[in-house]
Amino acid sequence: MTKADDRPASLSLQSVSKHFGPVKAVDGIDLDIGQDEFFSLLGPSGSGKTTMLRIIAGLERPTAGRVLVRGQDVTAMPPYKRRIGMVFQNFLLFPHKTVAENIVFPLRMQNVGRAERGERLVWAMKLLRLDGLAERYPNELSGGQQQRVSLARGLISRPALLLLDEPLANLDRELRAEMEVEIRRYQKELNIPFVYVTHNQEEALTMSDRIAVMRNGVFEQIGPRNDVYRKPATAFVAAFVGQSNQLTGRAEMVGPDSLTMTWRGHRLHLPHPDGIAAGDEVRFFIKYEDVEVTPERPAQGNHLGGRLRDIIFKGQTANYIVSLADGSEIIASASSRDQKVAIGAAVSVTWPATAGMCFKS
Amino acid sequence: MLLLAGPGVLFILVTLLLPLLAIFMFSFWRTASYELYPDWNLDNYHVLFTEAAYRTFLLRSALSAVVTSLLCLLYAWPVAYFIARHGGRYRLLLVLLLAAPFFTGVILRIAALQGIFGPGGLINMALGIFGMPPIAALMYTPLAATIGHVYLFVPFMVTAIYLSLVNFNFDLLETAKINGAGPWRAFVEVTWPLNWIGTAIGLALVFIPCLASAVTPRFLGGPSATSFGMSLGQQFGETGTWALGSAMGVVLFAFSLLVLAVMGFTVNLKRSGFTGMGAR
Repeated sequence: MTKADDRPASLSLQSVSKHFGPVKAVDGIDLDIGQDEFFSLLGPSGSGKTTMLRIIAGLERPTAGRVLVRGQDVTAMPPYKRRIGMVFQNFLLFPHKTVAENIVFPLRMQNVGRAERGERLVWAMKLLRLDGLAERYPNELSGGQQQRVSLARGLISRPALLLLDEPLANLDRELRAEMEVEIRRYQKELNIPFVYVTHNQEEALTMSDRIAVMRNGVFEQIGPRNDVYRKPATAFVAAFVGQSNQLTGRAEMVGPDSLTMTWRGHRLHLPHPDGIAAGDEVRFFIKYEDVEVTPERPAQGNHLGGRLRDIIFKGQTANYIVSLADGSEIIASASSRDQKVAIGAAVSVTWPATAGMCFKS
Repeated sequence: MLLLAGPGVLFILVTLLLPLLAIFMFSFWRTASYELYPDWNLDNYHVLFTEAAYRTFLLRSALSAVVTSLLCLLYAWPVAYFIARHGGRYRLLLVLLLAAPFFTGVILRIAALQGIFGPGGLINMALGIFGMPPIAALMYTPLAATIGHVYLFVPFMVTAIYLSLVNFNFDLLETAKINGAGPWRAFVEVTWPLNWIGTAIGLALVFIPCLASAVTPRFLGGPSATSFGMSLGQQFGETGTWALGSAMGVVLFAFSLLVLAVMGFTVNLKRSGFTGMGAR
């Protein structure tokens, strides 16, 4: 994502920190988010991503640093003046108000006239496909409907920014997949930047333009979703994003762009990142889909002999679990349609010497 | 089913309906020389509605009950809110502390207030030491009785509001603020309506006993604070006019029901945030 330089970023964080006693929940974060961006904060629980969202919303005062929305410093501004929308994991609809009253709540707080409130309500109800539910109460809605009402409430005042805190975590799997597509569509249609917090990498990868992977209050990596997935910057990101086999061994011969690693007696040829010298311990990550299972031993690339222990059917794809002679396992993911090998058969797992990522451990 | 409902039905029958029925019946009878005579008439009600003294007693009691309820409301909300929101793990202890005076009995608590407000009481004696005149407004006046009522009944109000607030999801307040509501607006839009049932229960718990109160005005109120409840008590005691007393009881009961009904109208279960009360 490149931004036009002449207009201010929709959201800027400048060296933002939040300390709870000795704990640094957020530790010196710098971030710029553009007007048209779908941005995700991805991280395990306790990584500081929710604290960061609460700082942006104004629910938490940062210990240090500044928060700017459309170029205006809002660090000391209370949440009700910031004009930011927010959607929560547990919906947090007002139980004593109808769907319609919930949705127009932000407009009423901004003293928008009755006529305009009506128009905007119709627009929001249509956008989120809530027709016919206006007079219902939240406890009369399904989880998915409640989350859509919550989104409508977040979007109706066309906020400068919409914050989403794990909004799909309480929905069942099918609905989640549908909402992922929907939410991205709203973002692109309305051209409002979304900041989406999740611990679910699939959600982040499906929806985002850019992803920041967070751990212990700092960004491990920030970049376009493809980069985060394909070119993880740290071993943590490599382990956290996507599904990978992890092989730990010792570097032997180090060339200009390749290295040789011994792993359980096997010699593997791996791509060579900077900073690894011969003798270093190396963690190698190779994604399931980059590994292939073949009946015969291939002519080139890395290959390990083993036995196909099981096939885990996933629908479009399947995971092929191969047991090596020493009992360790390598998993390959491929289309579930063309199963060339049978369970129990002797196979080779293979991948090109350029695939995967190495990190010094 | 019937077996389970039995004890409850019996209890209500014996402790509520039968006495009520008896009072209702007696209110149309006549007393003479401490004896009840079942000759049916409306004289008791005639007396109650025509003699100015009874009207004054009822109005005085009603006014006192309204003022006491409102004062309790104003006092109890911040207290209950503070305990529910910031009490942390001491919440239960704090609520129990509020109820601690209950362990000593009503008479003792009123006597204690008398000891504080009275002519030789703590306040006026302290004033005397510094050469200041005593505060007459606190010595056997309706004001003293009202303060006594507030002191006696405020724990009910705090408890009712507290129980409502501990079930209130304070995250909704954050949501209101993010959506543009300042602190006061968020209270009016979210906190108050979602805790109105608990507050109404608190108001009823204070209003109704206060309306019938007899002991507190007698000990603290002095001659100008004679309440409906005091007068009612006298009919069954000193004067032995049971029939008139019964009629007063019926009036009191009807008045309380009326107040409860008015409060009931303000409660919309759908809009209370309550679930699982059959309101869907």
